[in-house]
Amino acid sequence: MSDTISSFLLTQVINYGAPLFGLTLFLGAMGLPLPGSLMVIAVGSFSQQGYFSSVQMAIVGLLGALLGDAISFGMGNYGKGWVQKKFGGSSAWISAQESFQRRAWLAIVLTRFLITALAIPTNLIAGGSGYKFRRFMLYDFLGESVWILLYGGLGYAFGSQWEVVSDFISNFGGLVLGIAVLGVGIWMAKNWQEKLQRETQEELAT
Amino acid sequence: MTRKRIVTTALILTGIIITVFFGLRAFRAFKHMEGHGPFGGKPPAANQTDVSEIRDWMTVPYVAHMYDVPPKAIFKNLEIHEDNKDEKMSLAQLNEKYYPGQDGVVLAQVQALMQAFQTQGPPPPFPSTPVPAPSAPVAP
Repeated sequence: MSDTISSFLLTQVINYGAPLFGLTLFLGAMGLPLPGSLMVIAVGSFSQQGYFSSVQMAIVGLLGALLGDAISFGMGNYGKGWVQKKFGGSSAWISAQESFQRRAWLAIVLTRFLITALAIPTNLIAGGSGYKFRRFMLYDFLGESVWILLYGGLGYAFGSQWEVVSDFISNFGGLVLGIAVLGVGIWMAKNWQEKLQRETQEELAT
Repeated sequence: MTRKRIVTTALILTGIIITVFFGLRAFRAFKHMEGHGPFGGKPPAANQTDVSEIRDWMTVPYVAHMYDVPPKAIFKNLEIHEDNKDEKMSLAQLNEKYYPGQDGVVLAQVQALMQAFQTQGPPPPFPSTPVPAPSAPVAP
């Protein structure tokens, strides 16, 4: 299924160029399951072959991704009232919100090009947690620029052999996601262990 | 077992499974990458010579650009009447349109054609370019 979508989009990008590329990244940034990274790498390769202008494609792609991210941030912001009503009183939610506000810049930048699977949830959380839009867009711009330049650059460097890079990048993204999930699990286990130790010491003290 | 403990265990197990699965795949992909592109020691060429890099999502004008061959020549050899719709179709779509029920015919034909172009120039179905007759010397 994803192969069919990728093949269809690659054909259409060849046919319609920058507008279709920008639209694909825009829809992907809004949450549609489209192969954005694959398209950026492929377009880098097409540019190397002289089929497209690399500068034009990079600008249009960046604009599409930024616009899509702004809309998904807006969706999160729109649902803020509902989330506050539902979880606003919960201490876990307040703690998670505070924690996000402290490290939001890192989450926003890294999810643009390294853990792209978490980009949409990050946009929604940023919008829903009242993170400042201007600040979000600044970090979003930094992360998306790295994404376009790094992935597009790899496609450009590998030329017609871009598929091997795309294969590596998609698996590497999965690896980083796995490490992140494992890290969260270990962090939670550590917190839980410390809490248990504290409770035991308190019991012994009394 | 508390709910938090279940979530923590599930996260650690899921993390290990995802890390191992994608780690192995990424390692294999990286090893494969070493022999290609800038790591392969040869700079990527604008005009291709390796016909195995032709894919069925490519269009005829794109293949023509890659291999520096006129698109008309490819359509003519495929015995496909070139029109605007066919130009925008992928090789897979052309295959469906002109060879229904036979997978990969157009792709194989285009690969063979590009190979033939590289080894011996335009293959037989092409009309040979008429050589202009030498003009007679003008009498002084």
